[in-house]
Amino acid sequence: MISNIGIIVTWISFLNLIFLFFTKSNFQIQRLVRINLFFHFILFCLLEIGLFIDDFSISYIANYSASTTPPIYKFASLWGSLDGSILLWNFVLSIYFLIYIKYFHKKEFFVDVKIFSSILVFFVGYTIFSSSPFAGCIELASIGCANSTLLPFDNLLTSEFGRGPNPLLQNHPLMAIHPPILYAGYIGLVMPFVISTSHLIMKATNNDWIKMAEKATFFPWIFLTAGISLGAAWSYEVLGWGGYWAWDPVENVSFIPWLLATAFLHSAKTQTRESTLINWNYSLSCLMFLSTIFGTFITRSGVLISVHAFSNGNIGTYLLIGLSVFTGLYLIVGARNIEYFSSAKKLSNWFGRSGFFIANNIILFSATIVVFVGTVYPIFYETLYDRQLTIGRSFYDTLVGPLLLILLLLIVFSEKLPNKNLNFAEWVKSNQIEINISLVISIGISLYYEANYEFIFTIFASIVLVIILSKNLISYFRKGSISGSYWAGQIAHIGIGVFAIGLILNVTQSYSKEIITTPGSTIEFSGNNYIINPPYQESKEEKDVINLPISKSNKVKNASLNIFKNSSQQAISSPAIFRNIESDTYITIKVIDDEYFKLIIRKNYGIFIIWLGLALTIFSIYPRIKNE
Amino acid sequence: MNKVLTITLLILLLAIPLINEDRDSRYENWSKNILCPVCQGENISDSPSEYAEDMRMILREQIDSGLSDEEIYNYWVVRYGERIITNPQRTNIEMIVLPIFLISLFILAFIRSTKNE
Repeated sequence: MISNIGIIVTWISFLNLIFLFFTKSNFQIQRLVRINLFFHFILFCLLEIGLFIDDFSISYIANYSASTTPPIYKFASLWGSLDGSILLWNFVLSIYFLIYIKYFHKKEFFVDVKIFSSILVFFVGYTIFSSSPFAGCIELASIGCANSTLLPFDNLLTSEFGRGPNPLLQNHPLMAIHPPILYAGYIGLVMPFVISTSHLIMKATNNDWIKMAEKATFFPWIFLTAGISLGAAWSYEVLGWGGYWAWDPVENVSFIPWLLATAFLHSAKTQTRESTLINWNYSLSCLMFLSTIFGTFITRSGVLISVHAFSNGNIGTYLLIGLSVFTGLYLIVGARNIEYFSSAKKLSNWFGRSGFFIANNIILFSATIVVFVGTVYPIFYETLYDRQLTIGRSFYDTLVGPLLLILLLLIVFSEKLPNKNLNFAEWVKSNQIEINISLVISIGISLYYEANYEFIFTIFASIVLVIILSKNLISYFRKGSISGSYWAGQIAHIGIGVFAIGLILNVTQSYSKEIITTPGSTIEFSGNNYIINPPYQESKEEKDVINLPISKSNKVKNASLNIFKNSSQQAISSPAIFRNIESDTYITIKVIDDEYFKLIIRKNYGIFIIWLGLALTIFSIYPRIKNE
Repeated sequence: MNKVLTITLLILLLAIPLINEDRDSRYENWSKNILCPVCQGENISDSPSEYAEDMRMILREQIDSGLSDEEIYNYWVVRYGERIITNPQRTNIEMIVLPIFLISLFILAFIRSTKNE
């Protein structure tokens, strides 16, 4: 039943979009965009209802949910695999379409509506012609569904139990919010693409489009930052390996749009002020969106193997066609505006505001190139030599590390940048006290910890940054309220500084140990005593959990092994984490036996400081909301 | 006065890493770049597992008996395949050259198009 309604509503929404594409009345556009959102809302609700009533005649539900799945993970199963996540993608895209029409659409334009609706047609088309989360089951597997149909009113088969979501996805509530937030970031980047291409097609070449595109990038950027941070937090809380970022291809392809969007937020400001860099801004505004599709292609087409990759037969080709079409649009519109681009003003002060913004762009784009090469190179290597390659942290450390350190040093000057060239000697003079204080603090910290050069440079740069920028922020905050993009930038910069302190502590100071112990014994680790209590087993509907309570003074935390039913995957070892501002003690079970346990105990420095920095960066939304 | 203080402090700060021993000895360098095949993407230096411990012991012996980098590399790659090495850029120099080349091209083009003639 739900399968039939779902497929039919998808078709109607598709026709509605085609209609929207050809509409030449603003009144109609306003209506059709709302109707489109309504349809996608219905589709979203339909699949959720299906998940909650365990409608296993729908192939997707039979394969990625189970009657024993807890409600919150049933809800999140909608985006637990490819077909469902495209449904969420389309729903979010429809929300952005309405936002676009309300805040960015110009009455005299129709081409923007055409571009936006073709993007939607493209993604909705996938669920119609290729594979849909509403596809009904026509051939059962031992558990779940083996074959499905995209046609309504077929005779559907219902499997008895569902296969259940991937165990990794039902282990922590963060999994329920990380993907939607990340999507809100990715998909929002459609807006600047539509804004810049449509304005340039219409030859509306004042600086209007850049202001709009900047605004349309900032809010998705916040979501992107939050989504990536939540993913890191999830990895740390759930996967039990003690880290939060692995330079995994899927992480990389979320980092690329983030780097580009960060670059664009800066270079857009130079254009609005001084009419420079027009071609570059146009390119960035499009590349953000194109890199999102490219990332989806890389990770969903099966060309890469990774923790996140859920691939499906033909989405690769489909995405590649879309990527070519939208890239073609970007190039053609660009080529037809060469004259406009060459009207851009040239730069004269390389050490003034614009110079700093350009340096920022060069660094962020260089980092993008490195991450891109690191992600794509193994694919070429395997194709050429038929051998696999592991690109580990050291590749990115060597190439991205120094770039980000320079960027950190540049941010120090962001508080007050002159139009003319910066006089460095005078700057040092006017910030002498802050610099000296920072030096003293850095020396203290560096003596306390084991410091190498990478450590002292990062610590000093971030502390100077945080002190100078915070002083400025606080003194202004006393005088009046903070609002507008300047203060958003300042808060984000302080956040990045705090983040960098946590990051360098984490990277250089953390250590770990393997311990073999028995129940009831006490282990000593970095000056603290931990009592290992006897384990107990807990049986839930969807999993068995072995809990090992560990106590430190009066605090008790469980390290646990989760063994999922209906799943061939290995058990997941969730950590017991004793948190502290400076460092976490992170204990995971490796082996648990009747007589002895093997535990891994880690000292993870700077984790709290990392989250604090990221939270501050995300909080930079506040001054902008206040302003707008 | 202030200036002198700043410079003194700066020199002090820069001297701190010198007191610490050279942390990236040959052994550490290698152990940070050999993948632990049974762990989740960890190298044998970070991984606390027994398997990694055994691998570290072998590596320690190799370094102590003065094997050359190439001999060590061959030992691990023959047994586990190329993917055991997490810094392939050391032997595949094009991996470093390519991004640096692209970055230089980009910077040149960027500066050319924004510079005031």
